[in-house]
Amino acid sequence: MELFLARLFDGLSSGATYAVIAVALVLIYKATTLINFAQGELAMLGSFFAYILAIEQGIPLYLAIVLAMLLSAVLAAGIERVLIRPFDPADHLPLVIITLGLFLVINAVAGMIWGFDPRSFPRMFPEGDVWSMGIARLRWYTVGTMATVLVLLVLLTLLLKKTKIGLAFRAVSSNLESSGLVGVRAGPTLQFGWMLATAVGTLAGALFVADPFRQLDPTWAQRVLIFAAAAAVLGGLDSLWGALAGGIILGLVESMVVGYVDWIPNQMGLAAAVVAIIIVLVIRPNGLFGSKAVERV
Amino acid sequence: MSQPRPITEGSTAHRVYRYVPWAIFAFIAITAPFWAAHTPAFSIGESTLTFSLGNLNHAVAYMVGVLGLGILVGYNGQISLGNSFFMGVGGYVTATLVTDDGWSFLATLVVVLPVCFVIGMLIGLPALRIKGLYLALTTLGLAAVFPSIVRMEQLRDRTGGANGKRIESDLDAPGWVPIEPIGDFLSSIPLVGEWAYGEGVSGREADAVWVYLLLAALTAAAFWVARNLIYSRPGRSIIAIRDNETGAAVNGVNVPMTKTLTFGFSAMLGGLSGTMYAMAIGFVAPDVFGINLAIFLIVGLVVGGVGTLSGAIIGGIVIVFVPVWSAQIESVPGVPERFLRGPTGLFILGVLLIVLTFFLPGGIVYGMRKIRARFVQIVPDRQVAGDDVVVATGDATGGKMSRHGGKTALDVDDDPTLPDDDPHEEQAKRILDRDDGAESAPVSAPAQQTNQGETT
Amino acid sequence: MTDATTSPAGSPASTGKPILQVSDVHAAYGMVRVLHGIDLEVRDGEVVVVLGANGAGKTTTMRAICGLVDTTGSIRLDGKEIVGKKSADVARLGVAHVPQGRGTFADLSVEDNLQVGAFVRKDKEIRSDIDRWYEVFPVLGERRQQQAGTLSGGEQQMLAVARALMGRPRLLLLDEPSLGLAPMIVQNVFRNLQSIREEFGTTMLVVEQNANLALGIADRGYVIEAGRIVLSGTADELSSDDAVRAAYLGY
Repeated sequence: MELFLARLFDGLSSGATYAVIAVALVLIYKATTLINFAQGELAMLGSFFAYILAIEQGIPLYLAIVLAMLLSAVLAAGIERVLIRPFDPADHLPLVIITLGLFLVINAVAGMIWGFDPRSFPRMFPEGDVWSMGIARLRWYTVGTMATVLVLLVLLTLLLKKTKIGLAFRAVSSNLESSGLVGVRAGPTLQFGWMLATAVGTLAGALFVADPFRQLDPTWAQRVLIFAAAAAVLGGLDSLWGALAGGIILGLVESMVVGYVDWIPNQMGLAAAVVAIIIVLVIRPNGLFGSKAVERV
Repeated sequence: MSQPRPITEGSTAHRVYRYVPWAIFAFIAITAPFWAAHTPAFSIGESTLTFSLGNLNHAVAYMVGVLGLGILVGYNGQISLGNSFFMGVGGYVTATLVTDDGWSFLATLVVVLPVCFVIGMLIGLPALRIKGLYLALTTLGLAAVFPSIVRMEQLRDRTGGANGKRIESDLDAPGWVPIEPIGDFLSSIPLVGEWAYGEGVSGREADAVWVYLLLAALTAAAFWVARNLIYSRPGRSIIAIRDNETGAAVNGVNVPMTKTLTFGFSAMLGGLSGTMYAMAIGFVAPDVFGINLAIFLIVGLVVGGVGTLSGAIIGGIVIVFVPVWSAQIESVPGVPERFLRGPTGLFILGVLLIVLTFFLPGGIVYGMRKIRARFVQIVPDRQVAGDDVVVATGDATGGKMSRHGGKTALDVDDDPTLPDDDPHEEQAKRILDRDDGAESAPVSAPAQQTNQGETT
Repeated sequence: MTDATTSPAGSPASTGKPILQVSDVHAAYGMVRVLHGIDLEVRDGEVVVVLGANGAGKTTTMRAICGLVDTTGSIRLDGKEIVGKKSADVARLGVAHVPQGRGTFADLSVEDNLQVGAFVRKDKEIRSDIDRWYEVFPVLGERRQQQAGTLSGGEQQMLAVARALMGRPRLLLLDEPSLGLAPMIVQNVFRNLQSIREEFGTTMLVVEQNANLALGIADRGYVIEAGRIVLSGTADELSSDDAVRAAYLGY
């Protein structure tokens, strides 16, 4: 029982962080039907922004995270305008190449500026446990992360359903040509999608490295990108709440399988994620909660 | 700008024009190791950039990897990022068979090639349903997983775990290959010989030259097979699927079979490249075959030219030497020194990827063809081609990665259905210019119905 | 074939000032040229129909007006040049386009489809406009929370028209409103268009293969062949033209 609870809490904890980055991927996907391979790196960059603002500039942590979200959103607006918009959204190869290029550049720039020594990110939530039983510890970090994810999803849902920019976003996502015919300008709307996704990514990054068991360095996002993508695919690439479900499922599977099946080595969580992506895409391409087939002829 | 000079197809001038560059290339390719064996250095500012034979061998190994990716992505239109996985399989299988079982390097290919072909086909099966971005995502996952597989405790005896595996075998130059005499001969060439080739090669240098020659032979074989495949009937099926999958299926191409086999072939070249890496470096480690290599292969492909075969040669060189040289750069005016100690190679490759996609989407090969087209143009022999052939314009065909419409990235040349400077292109235009007022004919479709007689 | 529509309301509105003036418009998809110099005009309050065979360039003419295809020549809206403008900007100038295949936002609700139709409006009457369309098309009101993609073809066509009119356009472009609909539904759609015209006086440019129905609600018409206008006249003139009758009316 103790062991089960311990696994459960571990799974929830990592699942929630996968979910937030998955939400960022879903936002970009909803807007542009593009998978942004640089999303993880943007989140990594955002987590460094928050770190620098909080530690070196002495800004209170929560404010620093909000500022970092704004800063990364501005950066994303520029990236969208300069590097993404000139290309035909229906032609995938150039866009894959551009986002892979961004992946390398952002990773390298972070390494050049901040080096690869791990740093410890300030704590976002109190240390210690909300509840514990033997080795099963429900940490404040886990509860705080889950709560943040839920609040974030509610806010995003309201933004998309109740505001005019949200309506434009959904219209562009639903039918690009028709949205132009009713006067929705696709460019600024997609740019908004990039900004939103990147701000969410920065929050995700801060949440991820705020775990006392993790540290901040320019490589953390590379390890997480595949998990986040798997979570997004599992939930259905265009479903925000699906991303949360996908993240939690993935986190739980990872901790349960690795915890209970002896012959499966620790590193195989990543392999499980990849297998999950393949199975979902082959058997049910719109994932568990996606509203339409991801593949468009 | 002056008019490009016309050269008639099949004339002596055309043969000279066609084969002399190849002869020069072959000479450079064969003599390069004798030159690189002395690690020539270039000074740029305060930095010294070296060109070592070890790096050159490394680059030759990667050429085959880029070639394999290029066939899948550039010719078949399946966006895969996972070829580093197969390179890893090749590298590790070779490493363990040579070190633990005493096989010779080349003999391991008997295992590596079929194994990679089969794994590639297996991966290619889900790829029948997973397309475009999702295939890219899935295969990137594959690339990310490889390092954690070889780090597994259960495989440690074979893979060496996280520390990697040193290969306990030397590829010594056999006595029957006159490497040292060739080196002596090259350095005895009047005026330039000693400057370019030093005192000749001996001992370990000769062994490295031998490795190079082996790798070069394997590379040449790989290119030969790839070229024959692409220019054959199956090759036309491969390309037809890229250009219009539905159209290909309607015209009798077995799409699932062709795509799966292409995946297998591409994986096989990946495995070969991995074996060659093991021969060149003599050491394999988990992170060599990770996400970074997967992306580097894409860089190599884009730099050389998507949809070309020869681009892989340039691509292999770029993805090895750009990181090596950028690590050797000591100072750049205006750039803080601590930045230069960071991962500058990664940065430059990333920038290269973005800049080329914007400004030279067909890669360097396309750029070179464009420049060439300014000076000469190949004119088909009128007696052969018929009288109404119109001379192709100086603008080389293809090579446009689309920005809002136009051709796609994959429409680049080296395309047997549309040989470069091909009059068919012009004919296609003329067909399109007819006043048939077709509302939505796909732009590329008429190019297939080029039939000399019925154009106008 | 029965004549389902009533005759055009009022006299041909030839006195209105021109809203849309298309002159010498050429358009191409990539290298495929489709339009070879189109000239046409739509005046305030008029309903103008464009007839033509498949592939003649009717849809492309509509797409050229909306900035959805590379175009040269001149297209003036209220005297203002709009060639080269993006579709969103043309829409903001008051051109609403119901594209072929209806262009519904399939995964948005009916209500959201109407909301997005009013995207460029800033006034307070959007709500009352939506309710008015629910009155005109009661079936839309019943299904306001349903995803638009789940509606039937005829319902989607009505939704598309209502969505287009939510923007209170100066000019409504309708591209083959009968396409893919059962004959009964087609007559229903045209009856609705007729009543919209009578009630709101909306200026329309209609592309249609069903020449009977289209000429029934139109004041004037053009015939397009191989990317050129080959014939124009009032609806009555076209209906009695032998060539038009042979080619498009089938009697």
